[in-house]
Amino acid sequence: MQIEPYECGTRCAPSEAKLAIEGVSKIYGAGAEAVVALTPMDLMVRDGDFLCVVGPSGCGKTTLLNLVAGFDTPTGGSIRLDGQEISGPGAERGVVFQQGALFNWMNVLENVAFGPRATGHSVAVAHERALRTLQMVGLEDFVQKYPYQLSGGMQQRVGIARALTNDPEVLLMDEPFAALDQQTREGLLGEIRDLWKRTGKTILWITHSIEEALFLATHIVVMSPRPGRVRAAFRSEFGTSEDPMVAVSPEFVAAKRQIIELLSAEAPKEVLAQ
Amino acid sequence: MTDTYSGSETAALSPSGARPKKRLHDRWLTFGTFAVLLGSWAAATGTGPWEPIISPLFLPSPALVVQTFLQLWENGFQGKSLGDHIGISLYRFSTAFFFCIVLGVPLGLLMGMNKRVRAIVEPPIQAIRPIPKIALLPLFLIWFGIGNLSKIIVISAPVFPIIAISAMQAVRSVSEKKIQAAQSLGAGRWTVFSRIVLPASLPGIFTGIRVSISIAVTMLVAAELTATSEGIAWMALTAAEFLATNIVIVAVLIMALIGFGLDRLFWFLETRIVHWSGKD
Ligand SMILES: Nc1ncnc2c1ncn2[C@@H]1O[C@H](COP(=O)(O)OP(=O)(O)O)[C@@H](O)[C@H]1O
Ligand SMILES: [Mg+2]
Repeated sequence: MQIEPYECGTRCAPSEAKLAIEGVSKIYGAGAEAVVALTPMDLMVRDGDFLCVVGPSGCGKTTLLNLVAGFDTPTGGSIRLDGQEISGPGAERGVVFQQGALFNWMNVLENVAFGPRATGHSVAVAHERALRTLQMVGLEDFVQKYPYQLSGGMQQRVGIARALTNDPEVLLMDEPFAALDQQTREGLLGEIRDLWKRTGKTILWITHSIEEALFLATHIVVMSPRPGRVRAAFRSEFGTSEDPMVAVSPEFVAAKRQIIELLSAEAPKEVLAQ
Repeated sequence: MTDTYSGSETAALSPSGARPKKRLHDRWLTFGTFAVLLGSWAAATGTGPWEPIISPLFLPSPALVVQTFLQLWENGFQGKSLGDHIGISLYRFSTAFFFCIVLGVPLGLLMGMNKRVRAIVEPPIQAIRPIPKIALLPLFLIWFGIGNLSKIIVISAPVFPIIAISAMQAVRSVSEKKIQAAQSLGAGRWTVFSRIVLPASLPGIFTGIRVSISIAVTMLVAAELTATSEGIAWMALTAAEFLATNIVIVAVLIMALIGFGLDRLFWFLETRIVHWSGKD
Protein backbone atom coordinates (compact mmCIF):
# COMPACT_ATOMS: atom_id res chain seq x y z
CA MET A 1 0.00 0.00 0.00
CA GLN A 2 1.39 3.38 -0.95
CA ILE A 3 0.91 6.81 -2.44
CA GLU A 4 2.03 7.65 -5.94
CA PRO A 5 2.37 11.03 -7.65
CA TYR A 6 -0.13 11.95 -10.36
CA GLU A 7 -0.91 15.03 -12.43
CA CYS A 8 -4.01 16.45 -10.77
CA GLY A 9 -4.65 18.94 -13.57
CA THR A 10 -4.59 16.45 -16.43
CA ARG A 11 -5.99 13.42 -14.69
CA CYS A 12 -8.87 13.39 -17.12
CA ALA A 13 -10.39 15.64 -19.75
CA PRO A 14 -12.40 18.50 -18.22
CA SER A 15 -15.51 17.06 -19.84
CA GLU A 16 -15.05 13.82 -17.90
CA ALA A 17 -14.51 15.51 -14.56
CA LYS A 18 -17.22 15.96 -11.95
CA LEU A 19 -15.51 19.14 -10.81
CA ALA A 20 -13.20 20.86 -13.31
CA ILE A 21 -10.96 23.60 -11.97
CA GLU A 22 -9.01 25.20 -14.82
CA GLY A 23 -6.45 27.96 -14.45
CA VAL A 24 -8.15 29.27 -11.33
CA SER A 25 -6.38 32.06 -9.49
CA LYS A 26 -7.38 34.44 -6.75
CA ILE A 27 -5.91 37.80 -5.84
CA TYR A 28 -7.39 39.68 -2.88
CA GLY A 29 -7.25 43.46 -2.98
CA ALA A 30 -5.46 45.52 -5.59
CA GLY A 31 -2.31 47.56 -6.12
CA ALA A 32 0.30 47.53 -3.39
CA GLU A 33 -1.99 45.69 -0.99
CA ALA A 34 -2.81 42.84 -3.35
CA VAL A 35 -2.46 39.36 -1.86
CA VAL A 36 -1.95 36.47 -4.24
CA ALA A 37 -3.91 33.78 -2.41
CA LEU A 38 -3.92 31.32 -5.29
CA THR A 39 -1.70 31.16 -8.38
CA PRO A 40 -3.36 29.60 -11.45
CA MET A 41 -4.16 25.99 -10.67
CA ASP A 42 -5.71 23.05 -12.49
CA LEU A 43 -7.56 20.31 -10.68
CA MET A 44 -9.79 17.58 -12.06
CA VAL A 45 -12.02 15.77 -9.59
CA ARG A 46 -13.86 12.69 -10.79
CA ASP A 47 -17.18 11.38 -9.59
CA GLY A 48 -16.73 9.53 -6.29
CA ASP A 49 -13.28 10.91 -5.52
CA PHE A 50 -12.42 11.71 -1.95
CA LEU A 51 -9.98 14.53 -2.55
CA CYS A 52 -8.06 16.05 0.32
CA VAL A 53 -6.32 19.37 -0.07
CA VAL A 54 -3.56 19.56 2.50
CA GLY A 55 -1.11 22.31 3.31
CA PRO A 56 0.03 24.73 6.00
CA SER A 57 -2.06 27.67 7.10
CA GLY A 58 -2.24 30.50 4.55
CA CYS A 59 -1.63 28.39 1.45
CA GLY A 60 -5.06 29.15 -0.01
CA LYS A 61 -7.08 26.08 0.97
CA THR A 62 -10.06 28.04 2.25
CA THR A 63 -9.80 30.37 -0.72
CA LEU A 64 -10.07 27.38 -3.07
CA LEU A 65 -13.06 25.95 -1.21
CA ASN A 66 -14.83 29.31 -1.11
CA LEU A 67 -14.42 29.61 -4.87
CA VAL A 68 -15.88 26.16 -5.46
CA ALA A 69 -18.70 26.89 -3.01
CA GLY A 70 -19.43 30.09 -4.92
CA PHE A 71 -18.93 32.38 -1.91
CA ASP A 72 -16.29 34.24 -3.87
CA THR A 73 -15.39 34.61 -7.55
CA PRO A 74 -12.02 33.67 -9.01
CA THR A 75 -9.74 36.37 -10.39
CA GLY A 76 -9.01 34.15 -13.38
CA GLY A 77 -9.94 30.74 -14.77
CA SER A 78 -13.12 28.74 -14.49
CA ILE A 79 -14.73 26.22 -12.17
CA ARG A 80 -17.34 23.88 -13.53
CA LEU A 81 -19.48 21.25 -11.86
CA ASP A 82 -20.88 18.69 -14.31
CA GLY A 83 -20.00 21.13 -17.07
CA GLN A 84 -21.91 24.02 -15.47
CA GLU A 85 -19.95 27.16 -14.67
CA ILE A 86 -20.24 28.05 -10.97
CA SER A 87 -21.66 31.51 -10.43
CA GLY A 88 -22.70 31.50 -6.76
CA PRO A 89 -23.66 29.24 -3.87
CA GLY A 90 -26.04 26.41 -4.74
CA ALA A 91 -27.71 23.37 -3.26
CA GLU A 92 -25.76 20.98 -5.52
CA ARG A 93 -22.64 21.85 -3.54
CA GLY A 94 -23.11 21.02 0.15
CA VAL A 95 -20.76 22.82 2.53
CA VAL A 96 -19.73 21.74 6.01
CA PHE A 97 -18.06 24.47 8.05
CA GLN A 98 -15.59 24.20 10.88
CA GLN A 99 -18.00 25.53 13.50
CA GLY A 100 -20.61 28.17 14.21
CA ALA A 101 -22.66 27.64 11.06
CA LEU A 102 -25.63 25.88 12.63
CA PHE A 103 -28.85 27.82 13.09
CA ASN A 104 -29.24 28.20 16.85
CA TRP A 105 -32.89 29.26 16.62
CA MET A 106 -33.84 25.97 15.01
CA ASN A 107 -33.70 22.58 16.64
CA VAL A 108 -31.65 19.76 15.13
CA LEU A 109 -34.50 18.50 12.97
CA GLU A 110 -35.28 21.97 11.59
CA ASN A 111 -31.60 22.60 10.88
CA VAL A 112 -31.28 19.40 8.91
CA ALA A 113 -34.64 19.87 7.17
CA PHE A 114 -33.68 23.41 6.12
CA GLY A 115 -32.17 22.31 2.79
CA PRO A 116 -35.17 20.43 1.42
CA ARG A 117 -37.47 23.20 2.68
CA ALA A 118 -35.37 25.88 0.97
CA THR A 119 -35.37 23.91 -2.27
CA GLY A 120 -39.14 23.76 -2.33
CA HIS A 121 -40.09 20.49 -0.67
CA SER A 122 -43.02 20.13 1.74
CA VAL A 123 -42.49 20.02 5.49
CA ALA A 124 -43.42 16.32 5.53
CA VAL A 125 -40.89 15.40 2.84
CA ALA A 126 -38.22 17.60 4.41
CA HIS A 127 -38.68 16.04 7.83
CA GLU A 128 -38.67 12.53 6.44
CA ARG A 129 -35.38 13.16 4.62
CA ALA A 130 -33.88 14.90 7.61
CA LEU A 131 -34.75 11.99 9.89
CA ARG A 132 -33.13 9.59 7.48
CA THR A 133 -29.78 11.43 7.42
CA LEU A 134 -29.96 12.08 11.16
CA GLN A 135 -30.24 8.33 11.61
CA MET A 136 -27.22 7.88 9.36
CA VAL A 137 -25.08 10.04 11.67
CA GLY A 138 -26.60 8.56 14.83
CA LEU A 139 -28.53 11.61 16.01
CA GLU A 140 -32.08 10.30 15.80
CA ASP A 141 -32.53 10.72 19.56
CA PHE A 142 -31.56 14.40 19.51
CA VAL A 143 -33.94 15.85 16.93
CA GLN A 144 -35.66 18.17 19.40
CA LYS A 145 -32.43 19.53 20.90
CA TYR A 146 -31.02 22.91 19.96
CA PRO A 147 -27.45 23.07 18.61
CA TYR A 148 -26.16 24.84 21.72
CA GLN A 149 -27.33 21.89 23.79
CA LEU A 150 -25.01 19.51 21.94
CA SER A 151 -21.31 18.74 22.26
CA GLY A 152 -18.92 19.98 19.58
CA GLY A 153 -18.72 16.57 17.93
CA MET A 154 -22.48 16.23 17.75
CA GLN A 155 -22.78 19.74 16.31
CA GLN A 156 -20.43 18.73 13.49
CA ARG A 157 -22.59 15.67 12.85
CA VAL A 158 -25.61 17.93 12.54
CA GLY A 159 -23.64 20.02 10.03
CA ILE A 160 -22.76 16.93 8.03
CA ALA A 161 -26.32 15.60 8.14
CA ARG A 162 -27.63 19.00 7.05
CA ALA A 163 -25.34 19.08 4.01
CA LEU A 164 -26.14 15.45 3.12
CA THR A 165 -29.91 15.86 3.29
CA ASN A 166 -29.94 17.89 0.08
CA ASP A 167 -28.18 14.98 -1.63
CA PRO A 168 -25.59 17.32 -3.18
CA GLU A 169 -23.32 16.43 -6.09
CA VAL A 170 -20.24 17.29 -4.06
CA LEU A 171 -19.54 17.82 -0.40
CA LEU A 172 -17.16 20.65 0.44
CA MET A 173 -15.62 20.46 3.89
CA ASP A 174 -13.22 23.04 5.29
CA GLU A 175 -11.35 21.52 8.23
CA PRO A 176 -14.65 20.33 9.71
CA PHE A 177 -13.06 18.63 12.72
CA ALA A 178 -10.21 21.04 13.45
CA ALA A 179 -11.94 22.51 16.50
CA LEU A 180 -12.67 19.14 18.10
CA ASP A 181 -10.63 17.23 20.64
CA GLN A 182 -8.38 14.43 19.42
CA GLN A 183 -10.58 11.55 20.55
CA THR A 184 -13.79 12.93 19.10
CA ARG A 185 -12.02 13.76 15.85
CA GLU A 186 -10.62 10.27 15.43
CA GLY A 187 -14.04 8.73 15.99
CA LEU A 188 -15.66 11.04 13.47
CA LEU A 189 -12.95 10.48 10.85
CA GLY A 190 -13.78 6.79 10.89
CA GLU A 191 -17.43 7.60 10.43
CA ILE A 192 -16.73 9.94 7.52
CA ARG A 193 -14.84 7.17 5.81
CA ASP A 194 -17.81 4.81 6.25
CA LEU A 195 -20.22 7.50 5.11
CA TRP A 196 -18.20 8.07 1.94
CA LYS A 197 -18.10 4.33 1.21
CA ARG A 198 -21.84 4.04 1.70
CA THR A 199 -22.91 7.11 -0.26
CA GLY A 200 -20.17 7.27 -2.89
CA LYS A 201 -20.27 11.05 -2.70
CA THR A 202 -17.60 13.20 -4.29
CA ILE A 203 -15.87 14.95 -1.42
CA LEU A 204 -13.50 17.91 -1.39
CA TRP A 205 -11.94 17.92 2.04
CA ILE A 206 -9.64 20.64 3.33
CA THR A 207 -7.19 19.90 6.11
CA HIS A 208 -3.82 20.94 7.44
CA SER A 209 -3.23 17.44 8.80
CA ILE A 210 -1.26 15.11 6.55
CA GLU A 211 -2.40 12.14 8.59
CA GLU A 212 -6.04 13.07 8.16
CA ALA A 213 -5.54 13.36 4.40
CA LEU A 214 -3.79 9.99 4.20
CA PHE A 215 -6.45 8.30 6.29
CA LEU A 216 -9.37 9.61 4.24
CA ALA A 217 -8.41 10.40 0.71
CA THR A 218 -8.25 8.66 -2.60
CA HIS A 219 -6.42 11.72 -3.90
CA ILE A 220 -4.23 14.16 -2.02
CA VAL A 221 -3.30 17.60 -3.31
CA VAL A 222 -0.43 19.18 -1.38
CA MET A 223 -0.31 22.96 -1.43
CA SER A 224 2.29 25.44 -0.24
CA PRO A 225 1.99 29.12 0.65
CA ARG A 226 3.29 32.49 -0.51
CA PRO A 227 1.97 32.39 -3.10
CA GLY A 228 -0.63 29.63 -2.71
CA ARG A 229 0.02 26.88 -5.23
CA VAL A 230 -0.19 23.14 -5.85
CA ARG A 231 3.06 21.56 -4.81
CA ALA A 232 2.35 17.95 -5.65
CA ALA A 233 -0.51 15.49 -5.91
CA PHE A 234 -0.78 11.86 -4.93
CA ARG A 235 -3.12 9.00 -5.49
CA SER A 236 -3.53 7.14 -2.22
CA GLU A 237 -4.65 3.63 -1.33
CA PHE A 238 -4.93 4.16 2.40
CA GLY A 239 -8.34 5.78 2.22
CA THR A 240 -9.94 2.65 0.83
CA SER A 241 -8.05 0.23 3.05
CA GLU A 242 -10.12 -2.22 5.09
CA ASP A 243 -7.40 -2.50 7.73
CA PRO A 244 -8.59 -0.72 10.89
CA MET A 245 -4.96 -0.26 11.94
CA VAL A 246 -3.91 1.29 8.65
CA ALA A 247 -3.04 4.61 10.26
CA VAL A 248 -0.27 3.02 12.32
CA SER A 249 1.12 0.76 9.58
CA PRO A 250 4.75 1.28 8.45
CA GLU A 251 3.61 2.16 4.90
CA PHE A 252 1.32 4.87 6.26
CA VAL A 253 4.15 6.36 8.28
CA ALA A 254 6.45 6.18 5.26
CA ALA A 255 3.90 8.00 3.12
CA LYS A 256 3.48 10.66 5.77
CA ARG A 257 7.25 11.08 5.86
CA GLN A 258 7.32 11.44 2.09
CA ILE A 259 4.83 14.32 2.20
CA ILE A 260 6.51 16.03 5.15
CA GLU A 261 9.85 15.93 3.35
CA LEU A 262 8.23 17.32 0.28
CA LEU A 263 6.71 20.22 2.19
CA SER A 264 9.95 21.08 3.97
CA ALA A 265 12.09 20.89 0.82
CA GLU A 266 12.46 23.94 -1.38
CA ALA A 267 12.75 22.02 -4.66
CA PRO A 268 10.44 23.06 -7.50
CA LYS A 269 7.26 21.15 -8.13
CA GLU A 270 8.35 19.49 -11.40
CA VAL A 271 11.25 17.68 -9.80
CA LEU A 272 9.17 16.42 -6.91
CA ALA A 273 6.35 15.17 -9.05
CA GLN A 274 8.70 12.77 -10.87
CA MET B 1 -21.31 6.43 17.70
CA THR B 2 -19.32 6.94 20.85
CA ASP B 3 -19.22 10.69 21.12
CA THR B 4 -22.11 11.98 23.21
CA TYR B 5 -22.32 14.64 25.88
CA SER B 6 -19.21 15.44 27.77
CA GLY B 7 -19.78 15.89 31.48
CA SER B 8 -19.44 19.64 31.65
CA GLU B 9 -21.92 20.21 28.87
CA THR B 10 -24.68 18.18 30.49
CA ALA B 11 -24.12 20.05 33.73
CA ALA B 12 -24.85 23.31 31.94
CA LEU B 13 -28.14 21.92 30.68
CA SER B 14 -29.67 20.50 33.82
CA PRO B 15 -29.88 22.56 36.98
CA SER B 16 -27.82 20.10 38.99
CA GLY B 17 -24.82 20.49 41.26
CA ALA B 18 -24.26 23.45 43.56
CA ARG B 19 -26.00 26.01 41.39
CA PRO B 20 -29.54 26.37 42.79
CA LYS B 21 -28.22 26.59 46.34
CA LYS B 22 -25.92 29.44 45.42
CA ARG B 23 -28.68 31.26 43.61
CA LEU B 24 -30.94 31.03 46.67
CA HIS B 25 -28.11 32.38 48.78
CA ASP B 26 -27.70 35.35 46.41
CA ARG B 27 -31.41 36.01 46.63
CA TRP B 28 -31.23 36.31 50.40
CA LEU B 29 -28.40 38.81 50.03
CA THR B 30 -30.46 40.92 47.63
CA PHE B 31 -33.43 40.71 49.95
CA GLY B 32 -31.15 41.80 52.78
CA THR B 33 -30.07 44.92 50.88
CA PHE B 34 -33.67 46.03 50.49
CA ALA B 35 -34.50 45.19 54.09
CA VAL B 36 -31.58 47.33 55.33
CA LEU B 37 -32.58 50.22 53.06
CA LEU B 38 -36.20 50.09 54.16
CA GLY B 39 -35.15 49.74 57.83
CA SER B 40 -32.87 52.79 57.67
CA TRP B 41 -35.59 54.75 55.93
CA ALA B 42 -38.11 53.81 58.63
CA ALA B 43 -35.64 54.54 61.45
CA ALA B 44 -34.56 57.90 60.02
CA THR B 45 -38.14 59.06 59.56
CA GLY B 46 -39.24 58.27 63.10
CA THR B 47 -41.18 55.06 62.75
CA GLY B 48 -41.18 54.07 66.43
CA PRO B 49 -41.13 55.87 69.75
CA TRP B 50 -38.35 58.27 68.72
CA GLU B 51 -38.35 61.62 66.97
CA PRO B 52 -37.69 61.60 63.20
CA ILE B 53 -34.09 62.44 62.28
CA ILE B 54 -35.18 63.68 58.89
CA SER B 55 -38.21 65.92 58.74
CA PRO B 56 -41.21 64.46 56.83
CA LEU B 57 -41.03 67.60 54.71
CA PHE B 58 -37.90 66.13 53.11
CA LEU B 59 -38.49 62.43 53.59
CA PRO B 60 -41.84 61.05 54.76
CA SER B 61 -41.88 57.73 56.58
CA PRO B 62 -42.72 54.51 54.71
CA ALA B 63 -46.02 54.35 56.59
CA LEU B 64 -46.92 57.86 55.45
CA VAL B 65 -46.04 56.95 51.87
CA VAL B 66 -48.39 53.96 51.98
CA GLN B 67 -51.05 56.13 53.58
CA THR B 68 -50.57 58.79 50.89
CA PHE B 69 -50.89 56.16 48.19
CA LEU B 70 -54.19 54.94 49.66
CA GLN B 71 -55.46 58.50 49.93
CA LEU B 72 -54.51 59.26 46.35
CA TRP B 73 -56.14 56.03 45.26
CA GLU B 74 -59.29 57.04 47.11
CA ASN B 75 -59.49 60.76 46.26
CA GLY B 76 -57.33 61.21 43.20
CA PHE B 77 -55.03 64.18 42.61
CA GLN B 78 -56.11 67.59 41.36
CA GLY B 79 -59.47 66.46 40.11
CA LYS B 80 -58.37 63.23 38.44
CA SER B 81 -58.14 59.72 39.85
CA LEU B 82 -54.73 58.13 40.32
CA GLY B 83 -55.71 55.55 37.73
CA ASP B 84 -56.34 58.33 35.20
CA HIS B 85 -52.92 59.87 35.85
CA ILE B 86 -51.20 56.50 35.47
CA GLY B 87 -53.35 55.70 32.46
CA ILE B 88 -52.52 58.89 30.54
CA SER B 89 -48.80 58.45 31.24
CA LEU B 90 -48.94 54.83 30.13
CA TYR B 91 -50.79 55.91 27.01
CA ARG B 92 -48.10 58.49 26.10
CA PHE B 93 -45.35 56.08 26.93
CA SER B 94 -46.68 53.02 25.17
CA THR B 95 -47.89 54.84 22.06
CA ALA B 96 -44.38 56.27 21.64
CA PHE B 97 -42.78 52.92 22.35
CA PHE B 98 -45.13 51.04 20.06
CA PHE B 99 -44.44 53.28 17.07
CA CYS B 100 -40.71 53.28 17.76
CA ILE B 101 -40.69 49.48 17.60
CA VAL B 102 -43.12 49.13 14.70
CA LEU B 103 -41.28 51.71 12.57
CA GLY B 104 -37.77 51.60 14.01
CA VAL B 105 -37.16 47.86 13.82
CA PRO B 106 -38.11 47.50 10.12
CA LEU B 107 -36.15 50.63 9.25
CA GLY B 108 -33.13 49.29 11.12
CA LEU B 109 -33.47 45.93 9.37
CA LEU B 110 -33.61 47.69 6.01
CA MET B 111 -30.58 49.78 6.89
CA GLY B 112 -28.73 46.64 7.85
CA MET B 113 -29.68 44.79 4.68
CA ASN B 114 -29.28 47.53 2.12
CA LYS B 115 -26.26 49.77 1.66
CA ARG B 116 -28.21 52.46 -0.13
CA VAL B 117 -30.91 52.73 2.53
CA ARG B 118 -28.11 52.92 5.07
CA ALA B 119 -26.37 55.69 3.12
CA ILE B 120 -29.60 57.69 3.01
CA VAL B 121 -30.95 57.15 6.51
CA GLU B 122 -28.01 56.55 8.82
CA PRO B 123 -26.20 59.94 8.62
CA PRO B 124 -29.24 62.00 9.67
CA ILE B 125 -30.01 59.59 12.51
CA GLN B 126 -26.41 59.66 13.69
CA ALA B 127 -26.36 63.46 13.42
CA ILE B 128 -29.48 63.80 15.57
CA ARG B 129 -28.34 61.28 18.17
CA PRO B 130 -26.05 63.50 20.26
CA ILE B 131 -28.60 66.33 20.51
CA PRO B 132 -30.18 66.31 23.99
CA LYS B 133 -33.79 65.60 23.09
CA ILE B 134 -35.20 67.52 26.06
CA ALA B 135 -33.87 70.67 24.40
CA LEU B 136 -36.17 69.96 21.48
CA LEU B 137 -39.30 69.95 23.65
CA PRO B 138 -40.09 73.67 23.08
CA LEU B 139 -39.78 73.11 19.34
CA PHE B 140 -42.05 70.07 19.48
CA LEU B 141 -44.60 72.13 21.43
CA ILE B 142 -44.58 74.75 18.66
CA TRP B 143 -44.72 72.19 15.88
CA PHE B 144 -47.05 69.57 17.31
CA GLY B 145 -49.15 71.57 19.76
CA ILE B 146 -49.61 71.14 23.48
CA GLY B 147 -51.61 67.91 23.18
CA ASN B 148 -50.40 64.36 23.53
CA LEU B 149 -48.71 64.32 20.11
CA SER B 150 -45.82 66.53 21.17
CA LYS B 151 -45.33 64.38 24.26
CA ILE B 152 -45.34 61.16 22.29
CA ILE B 153 -42.81 62.67 19.92
CA VAL B 154 -40.45 63.87 22.63
CA ILE B 155 -40.47 60.38 24.15
CA SER B 156 -39.85 58.85 20.72
CA ALA B 157 -37.02 61.24 19.86
CA PRO B 158 -34.25 59.36 21.67
CA VAL B 159 -35.92 55.92 21.61
CA PHE B 160 -36.42 55.67 17.86
CA PRO B 161 -32.74 56.06 16.88
CA ILE B 162 -31.62 53.61 19.55
CA ILE B 163 -34.05 50.95 18.36
CA ALA B 164 -33.34 51.55 14.66
CA ILE B 165 -29.56 51.61 15.04
CA SER B 166 -29.49 48.55 17.28
CA ALA B 167 -31.61 46.63 14.74
CA MET B 168 -29.21 47.74 12.00
CA GLN B 169 -26.18 46.65 13.98
CA ALA B 170 -27.86 43.35 14.80
CA VAL B 171 -28.34 42.65 11.09
CA ARG B 172 -24.80 43.67 10.24
CA SER B 173 -23.32 41.38 12.84
CA VAL B 174 -25.16 38.28 11.61
CA SER B 175 -22.49 35.68 11.00
CA GLU B 176 -21.49 35.55 7.32
CA LYS B 177 -20.97 31.81 7.75
CA LYS B 178 -24.60 31.22 8.67
CA ILE B 179 -25.75 33.13 5.61
CA GLN B 180 -23.36 31.18 3.39
CA ALA B 181 -24.55 27.93 4.95
CA ALA B 182 -28.15 28.83 4.12
CA GLN B 183 -27.26 29.82 0.55
CA SER B 184 -25.42 26.53 0.06
CA LEU B 185 -28.54 24.72 1.17
CA GLY B 186 -30.46 26.41 -1.63
CA ALA B 187 -32.00 29.37 0.19
CA GLY B 188 -32.88 32.44 -1.87
CA ARG B 189 -32.79 36.05 -0.72
CA TRP B 190 -36.16 36.01 1.02
CA THR B 191 -35.52 32.74 2.85
CA VAL B 192 -32.11 33.98 3.96
CA PHE B 193 -33.75 37.10 5.36
CA SER B 194 -36.76 35.54 7.02
CA ARG B 195 -35.16 32.40 8.41
CA ILE B 196 -31.57 33.50 9.06
CA VAL B 197 -31.04 37.26 9.24
CA LEU B 198 -34.24 38.08 11.12
CA PRO B 199 -34.00 35.43 13.85
CA ALA B 200 -30.25 35.99 14.20
CA SER B 201 -30.90 39.71 14.75
CA LEU B 202 -33.62 39.27 17.37
CA PRO B 203 -31.30 39.17 20.41
CA GLY B 204 -29.72 42.49 19.36
CA ILE B 205 -33.14 44.01 18.72
CA PHE B 206 -34.33 42.98 22.17
CA THR B 207 -31.24 44.51 23.74
CA GLY B 208 -31.98 47.80 21.98
CA ILE B 209 -35.56 47.75 23.22
CA ARG B 210 -34.58 47.02 26.81
CA VAL B 211 -31.91 49.72 26.82
CA SER B 212 -34.46 52.28 25.65
CA ILE B 213 -37.06 51.52 28.34
CA SER B 214 -35.27 53.51 31.05
CA ILE B 215 -34.58 56.32 28.57
CA ALA B 216 -38.26 56.41 27.64
CA VAL B 217 -39.27 56.68 31.31
CA THR B 218 -36.84 59.60 31.69
CA MET B 219 -38.35 61.26 28.64
CA LEU B 220 -41.83 60.78 30.09
CA VAL B 221 -40.85 63.11 32.93
CA ALA B 222 -39.52 65.64 30.44
CA ALA B 223 -42.68 65.36 28.37
CA GLU B 224 -44.92 66.09 31.34
CA LEU B 225 -42.86 69.08 32.52
CA THR B 226 -45.12 71.58 30.85
CA ALA B 227 -48.28 72.00 28.85
CA THR B 228 -50.32 69.36 30.63
CA SER B 229 -52.31 68.90 33.84
CA GLU B 230 -52.35 65.15 34.03
CA GLY B 231 -49.94 62.24 34.12
CA ILE B 232 -47.92 60.57 36.79
CA ALA B 233 -44.73 62.61 36.19
CA TRP B 234 -46.78 65.80 36.12
CA MET B 235 -48.23 64.74 39.47
CA ALA B 236 -44.72 64.46 40.92
CA LEU B 237 -43.64 67.82 39.49
CA THR B 238 -46.78 69.60 40.71
CA ALA B 239 -46.62 68.05 44.18
CA ALA B 240 -42.99 69.18 44.44
CA GLU B 241 -44.09 72.77 43.90
CA PHE B 242 -45.93 72.79 47.23
CA LEU B 243 -43.44 70.49 48.95
CA ALA B 244 -45.77 67.49 49.19
CA THR B 245 -42.78 65.13 49.36
CA ASN B 246 -44.99 62.17 50.22
CA ILE B 247 -46.91 62.53 46.93
CA VAL B 248 -43.67 63.01 44.99
CA ILE B 249 -42.33 59.76 46.42
CA VAL B 250 -45.51 57.85 45.60
CA ALA B 251 -45.34 59.11 42.00
CA VAL B 252 -41.64 58.31 41.68
CA LEU B 253 -42.20 54.80 43.01
CA ILE B 254 -45.01 54.27 40.53
CA MET B 255 -42.75 55.36 37.66
CA ALA B 256 -39.98 53.10 38.92
CA LEU B 257 -42.44 50.26 39.04
CA ILE B 258 -43.59 50.94 35.47
CA GLY B 259 -39.98 50.92 34.23
CA PHE B 260 -39.12 47.82 36.22
CA GLY B 261 -42.29 46.03 35.12
CA LEU B 262 -41.65 46.76 31.46
CA ASP B 263 -38.04 45.66 31.73
CA ARG B 264 -39.15 42.37 33.31
CA LEU B 265 -41.82 41.94 30.65
CA PHE B 266 -39.32 42.29 27.81
CA TRP B 267 -36.80 40.20 29.69
CA PHE B 268 -39.43 37.48 29.97
CA LEU B 269 -40.30 37.75 26.27
CA GLU B 270 -36.59 37.67 25.45
CA THR B 271 -35.93 34.45 27.35
CA ARG B 272 -38.98 32.89 25.70
CA ILE B 273 -38.45 34.10 22.14
CA VAL B 274 -34.66 34.29 21.81
CA HIS B 275 -33.69 31.36 24.02
CA TRP B 276 -30.49 30.91 21.95
CA SER B 277 -29.22 34.41 22.72
CA GLY B 278 -25.51 34.48 23.58
CA LYS B 279 -25.09 30.73 23.11
CA ASP B 280 -23.03 30.67 19.94
N1 LIG C 1 -10.77 38.15 2.28
C1 LIG C 1 -9.43 38.21 2.20
N2 LIG C 1 -8.82 39.39 1.96
C2 LIG C 1 -7.47 39.47 1.87
N3 LIG C 1 -6.65 38.43 1.98
C3 LIG C 1 -7.17 37.23 2.22
C4 LIG C 1 -8.61 37.05 2.35
N4 LIG C 1 -8.85 35.74 2.58
C5 LIG C 1 -7.65 35.13 2.62
N5 LIG C 1 -6.64 36.01 2.39
C6 LIG C 1 -5.21 35.69 2.31
O1 LIG C 1 -5.03 34.70 1.35
C7 LIG C 1 -4.10 33.73 1.77
C8 LIG C 1 -4.73 32.35 1.78
O2 LIG C 1 -5.69 32.29 2.81
P1 LIG C 1 -6.61 31.03 3.09
O3 LIG C 1 -7.22 30.57 1.82
O4 LIG C 1 -7.54 31.36 4.19
O5 LIG C 1 -5.52 29.98 3.59
P2 LIG C 1 -5.74 28.60 4.37
O6 LIG C 1 -7.19 28.27 4.43
O7 LIG C 1 -4.94 27.61 3.60
O8 LIG C 1 -5.15 28.80 5.74
C9 LIG C 1 -3.60 34.18 3.13
O9 LIG C 1 -2.39 34.85 2.97
C10 LIG C 1 -4.68 35.10 3.60
O10 LIG C 1 -4.15 36.08 4.45
MG1 LIG D 1 -8.51 27.85 6.12
